[in-house]
Amino acid sequence: MPSELQIYQADAFAARPFSGNPAAVCPLEAWLPDAVMQAIAAENNLSETAFLVKAGTDYDLRWFTPVCEVDLCGHATLASAYVVTSYLEPLRRQVRFHSRSGPLEVTRDGELFIMDFPTQANERVKDTAAVAGALGATPRELWSGMDLMAVFASQAEIEALKPDMTAVAALPLRGLIVTAPGEGCDFVSRFFAPAVGVPEDPVTGSAHCALTPYWAERLGKARLQARQLSRRGGALQLERRGGRVLIAGQVSLYMEGLIRLPTRVLEAAA
Amino acid sequence: MSATREIPLYQVDAFASETFAGNPAAVCPLDRWLPDAVMQAIAQENNLSETAFLVKTGEGYDLRWFTPLCEVDLCGHATLGSAHVIATHLEPGRESIVFMTRSGRLEVTRAGELYTMDFPARRPTRVADAGPFAAALGGPPLEAWAAGKTMAVLASQADVLAAAPDLDKVLALPGDGLIVTAPGEGCDFVSRYFAPHGGIPEDPVTGSAHCVLAPYWAERLGKSRMTARQVSRRGGELTVELRGERVLIGGRVAPYLEGRIFV
Repeated sequence: MPSELQIYQADAFAARPFSGNPAAVCPLEAWLPDAVMQAIAAENNLSETAFLVKAGTDYDLRWFTPVCEVDLCGHATLASAYVVTSYLEPLRRQVRFHSRSGPLEVTRDGELFIMDFPTQANERVKDTAAVAGALGATPRELWSGMDLMAVFASQAEIEALKPDMTAVAALPLRGLIVTAPGEGCDFVSRFFAPAVGVPEDPVTGSAHCALTPYWAERLGKARLQARQLSRRGGALQLERRGGRVLIAGQVSLYMEGLIRLPTRVLEAAA
Repeated sequence: MSATREIPLYQVDAFASETFAGNPAAVCPLDRWLPDAVMQAIAQENNLSETAFLVKTGEGYDLRWFTPLCEVDLCGHATLGSAHVIATHLEPGRESIVFMTRSGRLEVTRAGELYTMDFPARRPTRVADAGPFAAALGGPPLEAWAAGKTMAVLASQADVLAAAPDLDKVLALPGDGLIVTAPGEGCDFVSRYFAPHGGIPEDPVTGSAHCVLAPYWAERLGKSRMTARQVSRRGGELTVELRGERVLIGGRVAPYLEGRIFV
């Protein structure tokens, strides 16, 4: 086992520094013991740390939060594609990752990183009372898919929402998306998922699997520009292609460094 | 902020003899101060309990600490971490460093790998009614004390490890957090610190709690120099020495990450 590892921290879906969703990325020669990867993710204390190992021309990819390994993380995949195409294989423009969620492909086009996801179907929900109670405001429309999606009339309404997190956590489904037409972009959104430990997510790729078909239909266009209005803020470019959604964003590099593994860890592995 | 600047960044674990233990802090040595908003953005991006920024001034350093949300008046573990970065990278071999901070002058001395800070002692007084302590801990402590923080003395290290206080009832105690302590196995005493008042369910390693613990254990054990462990999940190792109304708190610092950030 090497005593030093390369580490990068990058902000995904960030059009400017200090925005978007931060992830750490550690390229490895070979897998480390799970407990060591977990300790690194805990030490980084970011929502996700990605570890990648080259497998033929592709990469195996795993994601750890500070407390456990997770099945899927879009923003750390975008950040991993940035590290591969900027540092590990600078001539490469397409990267295939193998993950717990199957193969994931990211294409780089200039500064834009594009991921291909399945769309999420939405079904209209009539009774808005519970959502209106949790948000303190009544949406124009309510839809249901992997998450609930509440549609409002204006960006100002989205910015002003102060949800009751206990009430949001009590709603069915993973989380609550709120959305409205955007000022200077096609639509804006925020995403609350206190039931899974994320009161408000800075930028959420998976929420755009439901948002994109809704707005593509409503606005009559397949290519959309969106902003997620969290405190950090995120910028996304979307394209509906049949049953798939292309989700694209820029990546802003924050940090590059070396981490040192403690002797105890190296001796245990020897 | 238009042109990108490169700034060195270190992440270290304070009060730890090995990486992945102790209390993590980021340390950024600067040539000159950055705008406050940029330092705040860096601390938020690091997402550690504290990021320290230092600027050399003559023989000493100006030192400021930021949490992900705001600048704070005092942070012991990031000061220990800053001293390690100076003595390892900026001025290798230096044995005494004076920091000027919002809390005044702080001096850290180094002896080999041990970094020691000088703090005021906070002698606790006995609390007659241990009822609220018992309610918070789910059982009565041997003794109840207070000095800004509350302190419950238990019989054994196993009792401290097993403590699972009701944090709502800890909030109802006076002061800014609850220390739980007992004689240690392989050290003089062990402790844990619960501070839901400041949004910290359990702190990994707490210098300020040892300002209360040191006078108590010095009296009880009849010695002024002691070794202590904070038995949180990450765990911390400290040396404490009571010197009159001061406490010298020492610890080692384990390096984790050495890098540069792009601002």
